[in-house]
Amino acid sequence: MLMESDSPVSKKSRLVHSVDCTMEEAPSNAVGMNQSLHWTQWQILDSILPTGGFAHSYGLEAAMQSRMVNNQEDLRSFVIQVLENTGSLLLPFVYCASKSPDAAAWVRLDQLLEATLTNEVSRKASTSQGSALLRVAASVFTEIQALQDLRQTFLGSKSVSFHHAPIFGLICGLVGFDSEMTQRAYMFVTMRDVFSAATRLNLIGPLAASVLQHQVAPDAERMLQKWRDRDVAEASQTAPVLDALQGCHAYMFSRLFCS
Amino acid sequence: MAEAATGAVRVEKVRGRSALTRCFARYPLKLIAPSKVGPASCDAVWLYALTYGGGIVSGDTISCTVSVGDGCTAAITTQASTKVLLEQGSTYSIAEQMQEYNVIAMVVLLGPKLKSIQEQMQAEVRKLMSGQLRPPTSGGSLYTMRSQPPQRPQRPPLVASCSQFGRMGTGMVARIAAVSTELVYSFLRHHLAALEPSLGASPYAAS
Repeated sequence: MLMESDSPVSKKSRLVHSVDCTMEEAPSNAVGMNQSLHWTQWQILDSILPTGGFAHSYGLEAAMQSRMVNNQEDLRSFVIQVLENTGSLLLPFVYCASKSPDAAAWVRLDQLLEATLTNEVSRKASTSQGSALLRVAASVFTEIQALQDLRQTFLGSKSVSFHHAPIFGLICGLVGFDSEMTQRAYMFVTMRDVFSAATRLNLIGPLAASVLQHQVAPDAERMLQKWRDRDVAEASQTAPVLDALQGCHAYMFSRLFCS
Repeated sequence: MAEAATGAVRVEKVRGRSALTRCFARYPLKLIAPSKVGPASCDAVWLYALTYGGGIVSGDTISCTVSVGDGCTAAITTQASTKVLLEQGSTYSIAEQMQEYNVIAMVVLLGPKLKSIQEQMQAEVRKLMSGQLRPPTSGGSLYTMRSQPPQRPQRPPLVASCSQFGRMGTGMVARIAAVSTELVYSFLRHHLAALEPSLGASPYAAS
């Protein structure tokens, strides 16, 4: 665990009745760290974190305007294809960044993803989300100096683009998540944002979206297990039609989302 | 780490002309470099990438590195459409994912000499697609069941998008998805016709 914590020993270990307590008092620092990690994790996954994810529809708006997605059934298929492509194309970048959360590795991953994302729409969405996420993380997780240092060193630099997937992996790695949790979290926030876009596009109501999200969760887990822990050399695009459609986003005369 | 590429191509200036100085391919990729595609006056190297059996199967990995030197011209294409023969292992099969879009094509235009073709193609594709993309009818599908009879929504038979790429912005990739190969060929023939003077032949001359 890389995280340094100045927090005092968790008060909870003193409130628990010693007869019932199955936890040892001595390593409560480890327990304390684990518990505070939950709060951080939930904060990163919470849509209230101001990362600007809601400006992007992941190609859903273009899919609707081309009539590829017209109803709930189509949405289910769309979400699964987006998750499959997230797994095949982006998860390797999340994984590799979380395993080596240092500046040199991050720059290499960022540049590789910049070259890989030839689709202008998804490339711009990725950089805008990544920049916003780094800005928020540097402000929020002030105990991690590396984040502020990274931001200060590279802000305005032409050699990096601040792509979302590597930044997400880097932040989670620095905060102390293991790589499985990090990759699952990335799949989750993608799924979360697509469903959010679907409700804002009036394709589905918020309750029905929540029902569908829960139904799709096992598929998302399966795809995580399929695509996890790969090197970036294996990254590939697996949804060519959606990629072509997402590229049309800028051609839409009237649109709600940036991408 | 990554397996070795299945192909490597290098085009360089030799005695003032574009020449193929390296052409390596191994299964499942096959590269052929006919020397008489365009007239001798035309300085362009043509390469055809083929697959054994005219198709690809699940598990095939094809990668090729291409280097084209300054001042050189190269065209890399396929002999005909490559078929996906057998696939397995996804939640939705390729057919289900692609629905009626049976054909995918990708065109990469790279290099400063291709700027005006890129701009022209961008503008025409934008015009084509913006006419075919429109928001769902007001109220969205939450309300359509009540007011409209169920009917197959009209999808564009061909979808295309163009993206600039590359640090110097000299690259453009066009992605096309369509219901038939004929539609893609006629789209490509039209948009790439302006390449004929540089390449010596039109990439998709009517067959």
